[in-house]
Amino acid sequence: MSAVRWWASLALPFALLALLRVFLPLPFAIEVVLVSIYTIGCSFLFGRVGLISFGQPAYLAVGAYAAAFYFTDFGSNPYIGILIGCAAGAVASLLIGPIFVRLRSDYFALVNLALAVIIYFLMQKALAPLTNGDNGMWFLTSLEPTPLLDLTRPDHFFVFALLVGFLVWAFYKYLDGSIYGACCLGTKINEDKLTFLGYDNFSIRLMAFVIANTTTALAGALYAVYLGFVSPEITSPTRAVDPVVVAILGGAGTLFGPIVGAVAYTGMKDVLSRIFGNWELFIGFLLVVIMLSGEQGIWGTLEPQLKKLIMRKLP
Amino acid sequence: MIDAHLLISGVIFGLSLGGIFFLMTVGLSLCFGLMRVISLDQMLHYALGGYVTYTVGLLTGHFWLGVLAAIATGAIAGFVVERAVFLRIHDREITFSMITSFGILIGGVGIIKLIWGLAPRPVPEPISAQINLFQTDVPAYRLLIVAIALAVYSGIWLFLHRTIVGKAICAGIEDAKHVEGLGINIYRLFSITFVIAGALSALAGGLYAPLIMVDPQMGLEVLAFAFMIVIIGGLGSIKGTLVSAFLIGQVVSLGSLTYAPLAQMAPFAIMLLILTFRPSGLFGIPLKR
Repeated sequence: MSAVRWWASLALPFALLALLRVFLPLPFAIEVVLVSIYTIGCSFLFGRVGLISFGQPAYLAVGAYAAAFYFTDFGSNPYIGILIGCAAGAVASLLIGPIFVRLRSDYFALVNLALAVIIYFLMQKALAPLTNGDNGMWFLTSLEPTPLLDLTRPDHFFVFALLVGFLVWAFYKYLDGSIYGACCLGTKINEDKLTFLGYDNFSIRLMAFVIANTTTALAGALYAVYLGFVSPEITSPTRAVDPVVVAILGGAGTLFGPIVGAVAYTGMKDVLSRIFGNWELFIGFLLVVIMLSGEQGIWGTLEPQLKKLIMRKLP
Repeated sequence: MIDAHLLISGVIFGLSLGGIFFLMTVGLSLCFGLMRVISLDQMLHYALGGYVTYTVGLLTGHFWLGVLAAIATGAIAGFVVERAVFLRIHDREITFSMITSFGILIGGVGIIKLIWGLAPRPVPEPISAQINLFQTDVPAYRLLIVAIALAVYSGIWLFLHRTIVGKAICAGIEDAKHVEGLGINIYRLFSITFVIAGALSALAGGLYAPLIMVDPQMGLEVLAFAFMIVIIGGLGSIKGTLVSAFLIGQVVSLGSLTYAPLAQMAPFAIMLLILTFRPSGLFGIPLKR
């Protein structure tokens, strides 16, 4: 029974996301799903482990460019490209993780942003012969149609992204309930106590870093397959704050916060930029207002009240 | 080997860049030291300074009047931001202030776009004279920037060590609670620090405006460099900021002479190296996470 409820509470938000497809245009729905997957890593790191990263685009770029290199030089199967993007994210975060997670939380944020800038310049200038610099790498036509779920078609891609998202969320929900998830919260709140209990803060943080950034790299690889091209624009410093804003908008650390945040952010960006053409103004001050009013975010505020409502219905 | 003339002008270019970097990040460093907040809105004051210099310089025809107006605007903006936002959050975690000020920065960029539009604007160079130094012509304006940066550094040093308010701020950097216990109004010190920081950031923007074009993204573009400088120097240390600002200025300038992409990468490599051996920067205050 509890297993059914566990999966049902997970399936409900994704059913709602699938419903989005009926009312709203397909590109918007796909964007929402991709932004959600992109943000969950950042939200997990910030809300659960207490590490805030302004450099998530760096890992997005690692996944996207790994997939892009595979598509241009080695093969054409989108599924393998996505797997390669994930693997690249895991390897990259294992390599730099040990240096980064030793740092204090504020330095951690700054160092990550610096990494994003470096990858931006690396892809734009230093590796320009390989990446075509600002023009980006184009491989839309070289993607091979796959049986069953054809990722080169946007409607099939939406179903696939939804499935991937469901699995990612199942994994994060499992993490939240596990002992490891409790350790993550422990390292955020009181690392000395955790040391006394016999856990190693460094390896807990390192593992969280690798998990979160592999998820981000997965989002990058999905973006690459969906758009069919990759340019340095995805890691540009001006977009570095996007995942942080989405995570906080939805409620950092909550399971479904990133989805709510992604819907709200993508929707606002779309509507506001159409009306005013100047949406940074609103996003910026919205961020300030949310932070000043208790940093709970939309889902963080709604969740306890929904729970109360449901608990009253279900004795 | 690099040509000697090229080397000299490269060093001068790096020094002036370092001076701008120092003025831009010293506010960040001061605010962190006193209030333990990371005020990324300094980058907003920097962009604002550039724009005010542009507008006032265009209206009156005097560049230096524009810089003065920029300093005044930066000081007012710093005061408003401190009263409206930082006063409420200075006792929260550091990351909290970082996110909030990032919001202010993004919102401010939106305001700048609203007022001045998206297109970059050129600011005429006030001094076009060249000074002959070691048989090389170097722009006098760049030397002036270095002089102003050094003057500001000595001014801050004198202010912090020779005046009573400065000494109170210095003591506040060591232990804010104790200073409050002595009967000093610590909130007034916070405001003073923010006004100084905002004014200096705006000064940096105003002085740098003739060398680049002012555009709405200029605050976000230097953000990564500002981060690297305060990390290498150590947050909260004025001396560390000065040393690392000039270090990064030289690395960027001389790096771009030898191999252009290197200029953007080398500061990061230096930062990683320093952080590996000294996790709180060269002159940083050791602090628990």
